[in-house]
Amino acid sequence: MSADARAAESTPALRCRGVHKRFPHDVIALDGLDLEVPAGSFFGLLGPNGAGKTTLIRSVVGLNEPDAGEIAVFGHNALGPGGAPTRRIVGYAPQEIALDKFVQVQQLLELHGRYFGLERRDARDRAAEMLEQFDLTNKARAYANRLSGGMRRRLLLARALLHRPRLVILDEPTAGVDIELRQDLWSYIRRLHADGTTILLTTHYLDEADELCEQVAFIRDGRIAAEGEPDQLRERFGAPRLEDVYLQLVGR
Amino acid sequence: MTARGARIDSLRTARRRGLAALTEREAFRVLRLWRQTIVPQIIAATLFVVVFGIALGREIREIEGVPYEQFIVPGLVLMGVVTQAFANNATSLYQARSDGFIEDPVTSPMAPRHLMVGYLSGGVLRSILIAVGTLAVARIFVEYPIERPLVLAATIVIAAIGFSALGTIVGLYSTGWEQQNFTLNMVIQPLAFLGGVFYSINALSEPWRSLTFADPIFYAVSAARYGVLGEAEVSPWLSVGVTTAVSAVLLAWCWVLFRRGVGLRT
Ligand SMILES: Nc1ncnc2c1ncn2[C@@H]1O[C@H](COP(=O)(O)OP(=O)(O)OP(=O)(O)O)[C@@H](O)[C@H]1O
Ligand SMILES: [Mg+2]
Repeated sequence: MSADARAAESTPALRCRGVHKRFPHDVIALDGLDLEVPAGSFFGLLGPNGAGKTTLIRSVVGLNEPDAGEIAVFGHNALGPGGAPTRRIVGYAPQEIALDKFVQVQQLLELHGRYFGLERRDARDRAAEMLEQFDLTNKARAYANRLSGGMRRRLLLARALLHRPRLVILDEPTAGVDIELRQDLWSYIRRLHADGTTILLTTHYLDEADELCEQVAFIRDGRIAAEGEPDQLRERFGAPRLEDVYLQLVGR
Repeated sequence: MTARGARIDSLRTARRRGLAALTEREAFRVLRLWRQTIVPQIIAATLFVVVFGIALGREIREIEGVPYEQFIVPGLVLMGVVTQAFANNATSLYQARSDGFIEDPVTSPMAPRHLMVGYLSGGVLRSILIAVGTLAVARIFVEYPIERPLVLAATIVIAAIGFSALGTIVGLYSTGWEQQNFTLNMVIQPLAFLGGVFYSINALSEPWRSLTFADPIFYAVSAARYGVLGEAEVSPWLSVGVTTAVSAVLLAWCWVLFRRGVGLRT
């Protein structure tokens, strides 16, 4: 293996150093957070409501502006206007569903692909592929505000993956998705992961995290409280389930 | 290293594609909603021509030696341009922000300038279509020349860019729907009406005449009037110059907001 290849391998997919974010009225959402998501990992970010998960994720994709700290994706700065080019390799499915209601589903995906630099034809092919993958082909001509809640969630995922990102960030992707599709979704994400894509996921379903994630980090009050492999963490805290670790670490 | 056979094009190419897509999306919105975005303004302008120009024109025969119905056409065109460019962008930006779907282009690799140009394109397209439509439909009722087509075209485009930028600024700052209507009804419409669309400022007494010189829309109306009639209250250098300067300032302000992420990042 060449030195370059080794360096590339050891560069984390996401590296956060001392990230601090304060909202008005003295809300400290991120309090000097440090986090490293290894390249190629399946990583779970777990923690209670208001812990700062979404704030961190939105900082990575340029929707929040941290007051201090560094964020790099595969070694490239992701903050400020200089961070925009880095976002080509990031896919993001937000927790809040927000879809353009002026365009049809297929068109919405094509536009997304082109915003992220794909050629028109490539974007069209990928959109068709993603619609198929997420069982939305028969909704290709519908407007997004005419989809059911679960379909909208699927469309968000299709959009996040469309431009073939190397780091995929999913903020509670399975909220409101039915059981069958949830399984389909996970098997698809697993295949992506097996192909080398890094997955960063938040979820409140700890069984899901336990089963899927190679590594998890518990976040509370804007800091990482503990991190490691689910097995190790269970052992370290003498807990039979990840849920028990969670309750010990970040429970109220 | 690329994932699954994706071709990695240069950042420039990627961003150009993004800009093309955003421009297309904004244009698509204007065209798809043409019954709301294009038609009403053309009908309103035509009604003004018919009512003021043709019906009342019998009372007021001429202004500055020009038949009244001819005199008002260029001002009506410009009034449509500034109000609709503003309304388009204030609405489109605010909607995208309040529904949250602006996050898709904002999280893309596009730079602030691409986002700005993409969003401006909607208002510019809409007001150009309205200008052309108004000129065409007014022609059915009124014979008018176009003495200086280049001056007219330049004025329309420059004013369209400036007022699309103003709409974008308001769309980025707004925290509710009422703010855009307020700006449109309380600032832009009055400035347009008082900007000499329906009368020559030479007919005004002081202080109204001097005050009109502080109205930026007056210069755009005057420049358009020069383009159509070949004469106007002030020299075309002054009117086109002020219109350009005002648009440049609005554009610069708009750019600063995109650069700082006002209304886009928290
Ligand atoms: N735009 C904002 N303005 C003000 N406060 C905010 C904003 N966004 C988040 N916060 C605050 O920051 C803190 C962290 O919120 P965040 O959304 O990151 O939590 P989370 O871990 O994603 O929670 P959940 O599991 O409920 O999604 C909360 O106290 C929240 O109220
Ligand atoms: Mg959240």
